[in-house]
Amino acid sequence: MSKIVILGAGISGHVAATHLRRKLSKQHEVVVVSPNSNYQWVPSNIWVGIGKMKSEKIYFPLAPLYKKKGIQFKQAKAISFHPEGDKTEQTPYVLSEYVVGNQKGQQEKITYDYLINATGPKLNFGATEGLIPGKNKAYSVCTYSHANHAWGGLNKVIQQLKAGKKAKILIGTGHAKSTCQGAAFEYILNVEQELRKHKVRDKAEVTWISNEYQLGDFGMDGMLMRYGSLTMKSHEMIEMIFEDRGIKWILGAGVHKVEDGVAHYENLEGEHKSETYDFAMLIPSFSGHGFKAYDKNENDITEKLFKGFMIVDADYTAKPYEEWSVRDWPETYQNPNYKNIFAPGIAFAPPHSISKPRKSKNGTDITPAPPRTGMPSGITAKLVADNIIDSIKGGKKSLHHKGSMGNMGAACIASAGFGLTKGSGVSITTFPIVPDYEKYPETQGRQLGKTFGEIGLAGHWLKLALHYAFIYKAKMKPFWWLIPE
Amino acid sequence: MTQRISKYQRFKMMNPVIQFFKFIYLSIKIMVVVAGGHGGTRNLN
Repeated sequence: MSKIVILGAGISGHVAATHLRRKLSKQHEVVVVSPNSNYQWVPSNIWVGIGKMKSEKIYFPLAPLYKKKGIQFKQAKAISFHPEGDKTEQTPYVLSEYVVGNQKGQQEKITYDYLINATGPKLNFGATEGLIPGKNKAYSVCTYSHANHAWGGLNKVIQQLKAGKKAKILIGTGHAKSTCQGAAFEYILNVEQELRKHKVRDKAEVTWISNEYQLGDFGMDGMLMRYGSLTMKSHEMIEMIFEDRGIKWILGAGVHKVEDGVAHYENLEGEHKSETYDFAMLIPSFSGHGFKAYDKNENDITEKLFKGFMIVDADYTAKPYEEWSVRDWPETYQNPNYKNIFAPGIAFAPPHSISKPRKSKNGTDITPAPPRTGMPSGITAKLVADNIIDSIKGGKKSLHHKGSMGNMGAACIASAGFGLTKGSGVSITTFPIVPDYEKYPETQGRQLGKTFGEIGLAGHWLKLALHYAFIYKAKMKPFWWLIPE
Repeated sequence: MTQRISKYQRFKMMNPVIQFFKFIYLSIKIMVVVAGGHGGTRNLN
């Protein structure tokens, strides 16, 4: 009998838990530990943030589902990792603290045979002075509750615009090393469309602010893509969309301070500037959770497990951009020091960024961090689960399943406006996510054809279809496993 | 605001009939890209 403990119940943790439970017999324990009571389908947050979808539509409680399916659920937060046990507990464990109910505040040593760290990122608002969701007229859409607040703030501005006032709207990244430009990109297009729907577009100045060097970088170094019969660069495509929508842009901006209606930033020229706004949505930087790890003698071994995020089978050797290789990226998400610990999704420490690193003239790093959206999070979680299943069933360690972001495709179906007949979407797929310049030297590291962009109503339908399909899958309804990650 | 997308292009982008077929096409193409497999990189090169 084996016990698999999964930390986190987001896309990655939930995918791993559901596949493990489906493929392993009931004699094996699957335990999910998460401080959150709900599963949420994060990609639909942007529709909550424009008031087009109730937040109840994008989340559901985990406890009843897990009880029905035979997955143990502990609503608790991880405190520290003990991969060798300790003097009194021989089995590896994670020290966790319950966050609700009668057990609130109680700590428990949750032992495991296999551990999947799917804790995702910490939304590091604290890294940008004054960037607090709902304060200083700045909002976030990173969680459904943040998105609800954002809609409240946006609606207020729309009412002011209707009353004849003018307003400035600023959307993008709130830190020099933020990621998730895609989410901000979706949000700015949706907000712009809502302004047009409310017939107040002419009264609002909409501006994109980002740490990207060029539009369409998306933390992936941009891409060369097929667009209809054309081959174009992603920055050309996004520039076309922004110009067509009348959206201004500020690039290479590392926002470091937010005050009431003012975002202060440094650009790559080393200039310190500020941008005023009446409503802002700024994505914070992501960081690890600051977990500590201890060996059996209670010595601190955090550096064996964490480098901000969790250390996995990546090549972390520091080297210049010109020497980066697709082979630097992990394949199995296994910790090299403790082979029964894995970190799929956003929980693993990337070897480096994907975009070319850039510094301002003052030496400030202004580079997007690598994105790891729902799709790679799901794929990496499933392959980790499959390797654990093979190891348990085969009786010997197996790492047969591999999935490097350098040999994996991803689709970014970006909503560009909500509405069954008036909506729009920008559908972009890229293969591979991390460019492989050795395999595809003439097409900027990507396979043309599999890397393409489309704009239109179909993109909105597709995003909506994915919303319902993935909620269905997450609820483990009949034949849920037929829907790919 | 600069009109970068022509009226004809916009018509094609928003026409429900054309977009229905585009929806089918995109669904299949995305399935091919995403569900078409993944793997390691270290043994391939």
